[in-house]
Amino acid sequence: MAKDINDFYEEDTQKGKFLTFGIGREVYGLEISVVTEIISIQKITEMPEVPEYIKGIINLRGKIIPVMDVRLRFKKAFREYNERTCIIVVQMHELAIGFIVDDVSEVIFMEDDQIVAKPDIKSAQNQYIKNIGKVGDEIKLILDCEKMLDADDEVFLMELK
Amino acid sequence: MKKMKRVLIVDDAAFVRLTIRTMLEKNGYEVVGEANDGNVAVSKYMELRPDFMTLDITMPNMDGIETLKAIRNLDKNAVVIMVSALGQERYIKDAVINGAKYFLVKPFKEENVIETIQKIVGA
Amino acid sequence: MEPMLEMFIFETNQNLEQLELITMNSEKNGTFSSEEINDIFRIMHTIKGSSAMMLVNEVATLAHSIEDIFFYMRENKPENVECSTLTDIILDSADFIKEEISKLEAGKLADASASLLSESTKVFLTELKVSNGDIAQEKTPKKPAKNQQYYIAAEKTSDEAEELNVFYAVIKYKENCEMENIRAYTVMNSMQDVVKEIYCLPDNILEDDDTAFEIRKNGFNIWFTTKKSYEEIHNLLEKTIFLQELTVKQLAGVEECDFWPVKKAVIKEVVLDDVPVKPILVAKKSEGHDAHQTMISVNVDKLDVLMDLVGELVIAEAMVTQNPELAGLELKSFHKASRQLKKISSELQDGVMSIRMVPLSGTFQKMNRIVRDMSKKLNKQVELVLVGEETEVDKNVIEHISDPLMHLIRNSLDHGIEVPEERVKNGKNTIGKITLEAKNAGNEVVINIVDDGQGLNRDKILKRARENNLIYKSEAELTDKEIYSFIFAPGFSTKEKVTEFSGRGVGMDVVMKNINAVGGTILVNSEPGKGSIITLKIPLTLAIIAGMTVKVGNASYTIPIVSIRESFRPIEQNIIHDPDGSEMIMVRGQCYPIVRLHKIYNISTEVTDFTKGIIIMVETEKMTIGIFADQLIGQQQIVVKPVPIYIKNISSIAGITGCTLLGDGNISLILDAVGLMSKI
Repeated sequence: MAKDINDFYEEDTQKGKFLTFGIGREVYGLEISVVTEIISIQKITEMPEVPEYIKGIINLRGKIIPVMDVRLRFKKAFREYNERTCIIVVQMHELAIGFIVDDVSEVIFMEDDQIVAKPDIKSAQNQYIKNIGKVGDEIKLILDCEKMLDADDEVFLMELK
Repeated sequence: MKKMKRVLIVDDAAFVRLTIRTMLEKNGYEVVGEANDGNVAVSKYMELRPDFMTLDITMPNMDGIETLKAIRNLDKNAVVIMVSALGQERYIKDAVINGAKYFLVKPFKEENVIETIQKIVGA
Repeated sequence: MEPMLEMFIFETNQNLEQLELITMNSEKNGTFSSEEINDIFRIMHTIKGSSAMMLVNEVATLAHSIEDIFFYMRENKPENVECSTLTDIILDSADFIKEEISKLEAGKLADASASLLSESTKVFLTELKVSNGDIAQEKTPKKPAKNQQYYIAAEKTSDEAEELNVFYAVIKYKENCEMENIRAYTVMNSMQDVVKEIYCLPDNILEDDDTAFEIRKNGFNIWFTTKKSYEEIHNLLEKTIFLQELTVKQLAGVEECDFWPVKKAVIKEVVLDDVPVKPILVAKKSEGHDAHQTMISVNVDKLDVLMDLVGELVIAEAMVTQNPELAGLELKSFHKASRQLKKISSELQDGVMSIRMVPLSGTFQKMNRIVRDMSKKLNKQVELVLVGEETEVDKNVIEHISDPLMHLIRNSLDHGIEVPEERVKNGKNTIGKITLEAKNAGNEVVINIVDDGQGLNRDKILKRARENNLIYKSEAELTDKEIYSFIFAPGFSTKEKVTEFSGRGVGMDVVMKNINAVGGTILVNSEPGKGSIITLKIPLTLAIIAGMTVKVGNASYTIPIVSIRESFRPIEQNIIHDPDGSEMIMVRGQCYPIVRLHKIYNISTEVTDFTKGIIIMVETEKMTIGIFADQLIGQQQIVVKPVPIYIKNISSIAGITGCTLLGDGNISLILDAVGLMSKI
């Protein structure tokens, strides 16, 4: 019983909350409910025969998870990792993955009416954006996690479900 | 505090044992043992001397009625609640003729089970 | 999953397995023994009961209708039983139930309708009764005569002078309490001790189950004479279980009773069986009793967690005992203590592994069903012989080899075993034989699938291999075994006709892939006209293996020790450079191809000269290759972890079967020799 209440409570407190992070000058948002933790950059073991944006795998306390360079996923230029570089660990449909980002900013709250549809432009990164949040004058691009994980042939996540 | 009534559950299906155990424990009975066939049931009964037992009628080796007879022979005051499924009137009759006083019919409803047991042995 | 549901699924599956075994055995013998009838009855009874409780009603109904058949068979012992029709009904029903259970297991609803099956089951029962002349007697069940007298019985002879009270009581039961007539009978029983005479309406409650409806509607009426007071009687009857309503009226005399037969009275005692039951079988206790109590069933997830923990322990142990900070220190007692630690952790590891070991019998037994179904459809007669079913392998391994085995058996039956006419023509027994045999061999389990069929067609295979460009060396050099192995190559099939069971060309290569995935190998041999033998070698466990870790640039790779033949630093003279750029190493007069890890995996390293690095000779069934790496790091027990599913899905990662954590926390990739060969 107590657990149910907690779940409910947690669900409720997570709603409308986003973790924001930066890639270059842009600020992106990620629904907090999918984020399990944020760690600093660590040693990555490269895997053969994977797309360039998959940097390899890391050892997360005994669990081995893949890491994806979000910059490269957006077809932006690679930037050397530094002490501000973070890995955001995301869990979706039993699948854990780390997103490598330039830096992590904060957790913000956005009401539903602050979130609008994304503009219809064709760019490498636009396909990974779900919609857009507006906080004051600032724009937060809200990431579509499922799209991020889609392989180019877009089949396997379906199978996973 | 009042002493909890002690029960022995006999059924060859672990699932049924678990069902009964769950219901009884929830309602303040102490399940002192389980047995999955008649032979084990008899020796456990003698060893544990429970306040009452539930006894499945259809079991391999020694069936419930045989078991009932054996236990009655050892302890004529044994409180034995026979368990059988709907449609097995014939077995229950046999059991009743052989001295069974009480029976429960599967599928169980918790309130029915508890009501039966409370009437027989008290809460 | 809810524990109740989990238990239900587990137990029902177990029961179904047993059911299949019994049924197929009966089919083989062409009859159901009384023991088998009892067992099937009991299994269906149990399944019916638990599925009704889990509200899986279609399954409950189906199980009930089969239970009815076996109830009839048990009680009436009919002589004419259509054995094979009945086994079909049971097996079809078992399949249906299995399907529903697996839906529940997957978190779905068990929503299929069993009405067709239930219907055919009922039809079968009716026909069974008709053909055994029992249909007419149906309505009047035979009852042992001696029990007829139990409650309307002998006359009471005492004529006590005491004043007797006369009562009339009506008992109404709660709705849904079921079996009201038997409940009423227990009331009669409990009244025996306090009444002088007692009569009831309806009066034939034990003989006629329809009285249950009457009691449900109108209540159970009793009239009796007793010394007890109104209060005492009321209290006694109040105790009736599922009592909805009780009316007790005191009457002036028996003449006021609506129902008071003149002569009949009630016996005082409950009739017990005449034969006294012997005081118990306590002596038997130690056999059955203890065996059951020492076994517990454990959720596999828990074992997996335990296994993971042991894995972590092995790694942590390495991190402590091989810590670089210890280098050069004088540590006598430390080494002694760490040896002790190592001993304990390796025993612990063995212990945990042994818990996970399960016998192959379950998997083997499943094949009975496949052979049965297929031989029926293909009109072949096949006997399946199981040898060494008790051989144990890791739970994980079992899961991986079940499908390949099934495929191989199907293949033997479909392509290997001939139809009876042809077998007779070739002077063979009409009944073909497939032997499935398992045995332990060191760290491996060897499984042989042997059939006495027509054998593999060497020329046809060779022709097809040629057409598909599968031949990698000159045909003259190919051994028979190598030629037969082509049947496992992707896209290979010599069967012109595609059958329902096998022969689509996909399949055999999938078998190979599945077996390779668990680190196993397949060998095939055949003698024309005599039969074929397929040998699988499977590692006992997947979880922890001995591995040799090597370094290439900054990366680490681990090679399973079982596949390593030797490793050495080569000398220049033994290296052969082909004009087309491929490189080979000469070992004891034999030439083997070399795979440069840094090249195929695109790793930057300073060690590119063979004489500066190390060559590890790795052997598979097919061939031996030399793997070139910078240096050996060392041998250790490694815990195999799967490559993350995401990576698997976007990449073929050929040559890598898993990963493992090294003592320093770094990840090493586990190389798979078979996969590496495809890189040459």
